[in-house]
Amino acid sequence: MKILHALVKKEILQIIRDPSSVIIAFILPLISIFIYMYGINLDFVTVNIGVKNDDNSPEISQLVNSFGCSKYINSEVSDNMLDLSQKLIRSKIKGIVVIPNDFSNRLEQKQSADLMVITDGSEVNTATYLQNYILQISNQWLATSKYSQLMSPQIVNPQVRTWYNQDSNGYYFILPGSIAITMTLIGILLTALVVAREWERGTMESLLSSNVTRMHIVLGKYIPYFILGMLSMIFNMILCIGIFQVPFHGNYLVLTFVSALFLFTSMGIGLLISTKLKNQFFASQISIGIGFLPALLLSGLVFPISSMPEILQHITRVLPPRYYITFIESEFMAGTIPSVAIKSSIFLLILGIILFIAVYKNTDMRLTHD
Amino acid sequence: MDAVIIKNLTKKFKEITAINVLSLKIEKGKITGLIGADGSGKTTLIRLIIGLLLPDYGEISVLDLNPSVEKDELNKKIGYMPQKFGLYEDLTVIENLKLYADLKNVPHDFEKLLKFTDLKKFQSRLAGALSGGMKQKLGLACVLLGSPEFLLLDEPSVGVDPISRRDLMQMVCNLISPKTTVLWSTSYMDEAHSFDTAIVLDQGKVIYQGNPSDLAKTSEEFENKVIDLMGGYQKTKSRIAESYISKKTDVQYTVVADNLEKLYGDFYAVKNNSFKIKKGEIFGLLGPNGAGKSTSFKMMCGLLKPTNGIAHIMGIDITEDPEKARSNLGYMAQKFSLYESLTVKQNLDFFSEIYGIHDQNLKTRVSEIIDIFGFSQIQKQKAGELPLGFKQKLSLACALIHNPPILFLDEPTSGVDVITRREFWNHITSLAQKGVTVLVTTHFMDEAEYCDRISLFYKGETVAIGTPSALKKKVKAKNMEEAFMKLILESDK
Repeated sequence: MKILHALVKKEILQIIRDPSSVIIAFILPLISIFIYMYGINLDFVTVNIGVKNDDNSPEISQLVNSFGCSKYINSEVSDNMLDLSQKLIRSKIKGIVVIPNDFSNRLEQKQSADLMVITDGSEVNTATYLQNYILQISNQWLATSKYSQLMSPQIVNPQVRTWYNQDSNGYYFILPGSIAITMTLIGILLTALVVAREWERGTMESLLSSNVTRMHIVLGKYIPYFILGMLSMIFNMILCIGIFQVPFHGNYLVLTFVSALFLFTSMGIGLLISTKLKNQFFASQISIGIGFLPALLLSGLVFPISSMPEILQHITRVLPPRYYITFIESEFMAGTIPSVAIKSSIFLLILGIILFIAVYKNTDMRLTHD
Repeated sequence: MDAVIIKNLTKKFKEITAINVLSLKIEKGKITGLIGADGSGKTTLIRLIIGLLLPDYGEISVLDLNPSVEKDELNKKIGYMPQKFGLYEDLTVIENLKLYADLKNVPHDFEKLLKFTDLKKFQSRLAGALSGGMKQKLGLACVLLGSPEFLLLDEPSVGVDPISRRDLMQMVCNLISPKTTVLWSTSYMDEAHSFDTAIVLDQGKVIYQGNPSDLAKTSEEFENKVIDLMGGYQKTKSRIAESYISKKTDVQYTVVADNLEKLYGDFYAVKNNSFKIKKGEIFGLLGPNGAGKSTSFKMMCGLLKPTNGIAHIMGIDITEDPEKARSNLGYMAQKFSLYESLTVKQNLDFFSEIYGIHDQNLKTRVSEIIDIFGFSQIQKQKAGELPLGFKQKLSLACALIHNPPILFLDEPTSGVDVITRREFWNHITSLAQKGVTVLVTTHFMDEAEYCDRISLFYKGETVAIGTPSALKKKVKAKNMEEAFMKLILESDK
């Protein structure tokens, strides 16, 4: 006990002296939350479109006006098709609506009338969004115009409500998810260097020739960085809930418990890298590759897991962030769902224990080569 | 009674045989010195004895324990100081002591140790901020905690000045009980000569074991005998010096320091340092660790801006035209500063290129250097994997690649074995005869005798300056080591 206490105390002193671990624990989440908050925005901002109207019937000018009624769309009316298509090429506008000169004539004759809609396919999401928008506006116009009897009566009328996130506010799910990414990075980065550092500076040689046991070395690394990691986790939550006002519907105790399990697994990855490589530079490179990128790309935060190829779906099963992201998103937006919390906890606990055993087994008590 | 019994021990690293069917016994309660050339297997042997490495073949018994299986038991009885001291540089002196006391489960009673090491007033200083000598004392203090039965010190006195070395020796002698066994690896022959037993290792084998006084009466003689045991050293003409092409110059004093000063806050690292070095002179800068030698060196090469004063290299003011002044310099830093991941030849190619040697000239010059330094066998090896002596030789080769008229050598022989040191000084003296001006620092007092003049440096100031014989005469000392101590102690009064 005394030895473990001494090792933990030593590590805490080193954390205090070395600003880099404090920067990783507290400045990194700050930067990353700002990036997720403002840099990655999945919500639509105002989109510009061009409208060319060749039909000068007064009914049609109403349709032209209603294109610009939404707060998300700016429409610009022009007669110069060349000018509009130039603007589309330069990405000044995202779509063009052309109303042909026989549009109202055909409607008068109760024939179907065509609208031409050109969208910018290089931004697929915006293009689809515009197509739907224009369809919706023209239908609305038709229903209120004198041609309304032409519409077939609508029998099915979907009333849409978005649960858990009424305003479809992107950062309500991005921010809690980003905590998972940040915590993966923190858990791995904090620990990836600390064993390698002892080997590089030659202090491991001294430890190995004292009364220290293998369990002392492993716990002596887990405990202090777990404490620091939990402080960083609390800091993340305060930023998210307190400063950025992300609504939290869950239970703080459950959140803390599952987060602690998640931190335990991330630290395991970091310590395993450090124990195996014994080289700080190499360890830091590998931890970004192994820790950060899969967490970002394969955890389901950015790309839904269900749309990945089957093999990748299986790979995500061993990634701790996958379970944590599912948990934290539901915890924030829907409140505690026992089945999700229990499933995530069990998986994280199993992964954490496997990693702990791997770290323990790989901790050398002798020098392997000179 | 024997503390260590080794029978037919062999240890290989890939193709290299570090320990080759070695057998030896180390007597209990004695101080045993372990000497040998670089790469002779000293560190590997110590690590095998305490179970940090496992043997390939053979038997080891240490304090009646088998280090391969009973390492935990053995750890409680030993104190081991590795070459890098094993200190936590970001912990303070007292925090390091407390940590190691807790790890060994001994009470926090450091009064005696702090008094002996003179570290009392530096208790709250970070270990990383201590001078080399003080680090070693602290490292030793940490190892001595809990009064181990068996003390193993791996080259504790590398890069340490004579005074700190004497202190270290006194610490060990005063702080251990008469029953304690000590195994002390060293490259200082005077140290080895003063021990109870000396073991000489060569290529992983014991080539001599016995009382050092039986081998030779004085430490100088002992050194010669050890060199003979290791295969002998034959002084030959230095091919390095022969191939040197000197530049014509009218400058009489090639290196001039005029009132150099360096101030850190209100602390003078260097205070009014002045000297003039003639063309072809070997000028030695001696002094204890932390006296300001390296700071002076860095100011002389324009790596550090002096607070006051001027340095002239070949008559050029170093602050005014540092590039031109530096093109006349070959500099060998204290720390190995070549690219460890490049091969020997790639390092040479690179340094030729940055000194402005290109294309065909580069090819001729590099193959010439490889030939005269004897690198042809190792030219494809990575620089980081070379034994220390070869690393130092490669550093010297890189410093000489552009035939500079001036050489700055900062502790060129630190950690190098006796034979390589002799070779080195043969090159240095021969180069000086061809007109190369040499400014050199060293902790080996026998090397100081090779210098034409010496400046003794202490606490940032010049304490004495003159030829070795004049300095010895001044304080009536029989050798340079004694002169060094007397002059330093005198200036302390």
